[in-house]
Amino acid sequence: MTTQETQAPTSSGCPFTGRQKVALEETSLTDPIIQANPRDFYWTMRTEDPVHYDEKLGMWLVTRYDDIVKVLREPLLFSDKQGYEAQYASGFFEEFKQILESQGGGYFPDVIKSDPPEHTRIRKLMDGAFSAHRVKTLEPGITRIIADLVDQIADKADKGEVIDGVREFAIPLTISVICEQLGIDQFNGEKISRWSEAITAQIGRMQNREEMVENAKEICDLQNFITEQMQDREVDPKEDMISDLVHAELDDGSKLTFGEAVSLVRALIIAGNDTTATAITNLLLILATQPELAQELYDNVEDDKYLNRFVEELLRFAPPVRGLAKMATEDTELGGQQLPKGAHLLVMYASGNDDEEKFECPRQFDMGRKNLGSHVAFGVGVHRCIGASLARMEIKVAAKELIKKVHNIQLTVPVAELKYQKTVATHAIEALPITFTKR
Amino acid sequence: MSGVTITFVEPDGTEKIIEDAVVGESLMNVAKDNGVEGIWGDCGGGCACGTCHVYVDEKWQDVVGKPDDIEEMTLDMVTEAQQDNSRLCCQIQVSPELDGVRLTVVPAE
Ligand code: HEM
Ligand code: FES
Repeated sequence: MTTQETQAPTSSGCPFTGRQKVALEETSLTDPIIQANPRDFYWTMRTEDPVHYDEKLGMWLVTRYDDIVKVLREPLLFSDKQGYEAQYASGFFEEFKQILESQGGGYFPDVIKSDPPEHTRIRKLMDGAFSAHRVKTLEPGITRIIADLVDQIADKADKGEVIDGVREFAIPLTISVICEQLGIDQFNGEKISRWSEAITAQIGRMQNREEMVENAKEICDLQNFITEQMQDREVDPKEDMISDLVHAELDDGSKLTFGEAVSLVRALIIAGNDTTATAITNLLLILATQPELAQELYDNVEDDKYLNRFVEELLRFAPPVRGLAKMATEDTELGGQQLPKGAHLLVMYASGNDDEEKFECPRQFDMGRKNLGSHVAFGVGVHRCIGASLARMEIKVAAKELIKKVHNIQLTVPVAELKYQKTVATHAIEALPITFTKR
Repeated sequence: MSGVTITFVEPDGTEKIIEDAVVGESLMNVAKDNGVEGIWGDCGGGCACGTCHVYVDEKWQDVVGKPDDIEEMTLDMVTEAQQDNSRLCCQIQVSPELDGVRLTVVPAE
């Protein structure tokens, strides 16, 4: 059940790691080379300076598994709200806000990115909709969407055409699934994809001013779309999640304000798209680069337990979310590092999943590992991903439908030439050119 | 109607006896409302996070029952600690039959 990524023997007891030290003082997470290949940087920080100050970013990078969990388990000491606000549209916030107010109906802060007890009140409203049991009932519908998409790309690939796994499979897949959930039956997938990227860019720290203006306009467009959808449900409630949010009553009997509801619908449209699409892209990449694993997956395709473990190890091995922000609300200490009140932290989930102190031989794809479910790809604590069950289901069904119908998946460019989205928040491949044949 | 009595054994061995658990509540909520150590309930009872893991005392196993397939899958992710008597307590509702049940908290991470 194990396969290796690189072939360099080391002395650590793991057959393969191939780690190389990076000069920390000269390096930033924003460097293009690090953006594409961050693992040596993470590893050097974990060994030399586990809570490392990245000068260029002006943020403390939290890299060790144990420290990450500690931060996420103390939501009042390490505020999600303050961390997120300081990250959002960083450098251009006032101008960004003005654009939204003048053209997008208003600036609506994300209520889900708040701290307890406010957060608890909102979160309770959302949890039920994405429980594992509810998501299980969605499996047939999700399978139908994915099987159709697989058929489409399989026909194309069978004619010898190159497929972009990102734009032609992963992104349309996740967008169709979430729109069905929200009850949006008429949608323009390309627009939604642009909206997702525009939102993600606000916490990515790597947009310039021109890009910010472009992105702000996309977000206005998104908000205007959401407002229309909500107004439609105001007068004509339907059996869908937008209606649920528009008409929701909270535990204390209060209702969501208009702005709160917009921010929640926006979060649901966006939060699961790029992230889940990235996981599915990583699935394609691993099937293309580890043919023996692809064969093993095929041999076990009817074994649900196998598939679940496969998905979980994929998320540990190649986590879509790289780092999200939190802020210290008091002077404190973390991993031997003194942090002042107001210290802006970037929680490096991707580094936690690669921590050899927690995961034995982390660079091996090993779905037999005992602590498989301890990975932090979905976070930990009160902000742990709401959509985890939905994402797992989408990735599982994608793996299943693909491997049943196609084989010989091959990348048409060297792995080293793959381009990644410019952002500190996620680690997302921009395009994945592949070929394959029908079984 | 009087409450149901539930005992949680916390990771450090402390017994927390809760005497007023309300029928219909999930045991995860009961534990959180009473500050039981080691029950986080991150996913709010969605059977998705495994941070509400308990071992059911042997003599109570039949009364409490077995996990369903979905819970079984989530438990499979915490294999390090999974046992025959493992349950995710967000999936167990308080009922009069559970009066006196004893559960040992299994810490996550
Ligand atoms: C593989 C796919 C996904 C990954 C890797 C992922 C990852 C994450 C992470 C790391 C967090 C933040 C945890 C923290 O603050 O520490 C998060 C939060 C969140 N995710 Fe996901 N996610 C995925 C899919 C989804 C989907 C499909 C949805 C929507 C249905 C979704 C909705 C959300 C929301 C609303 C939050 C905010 C929760 C809160 O702050 O309480 N995610 N996700
Ligand atoms: S609370 Fe998440 S599985 Fe029980």
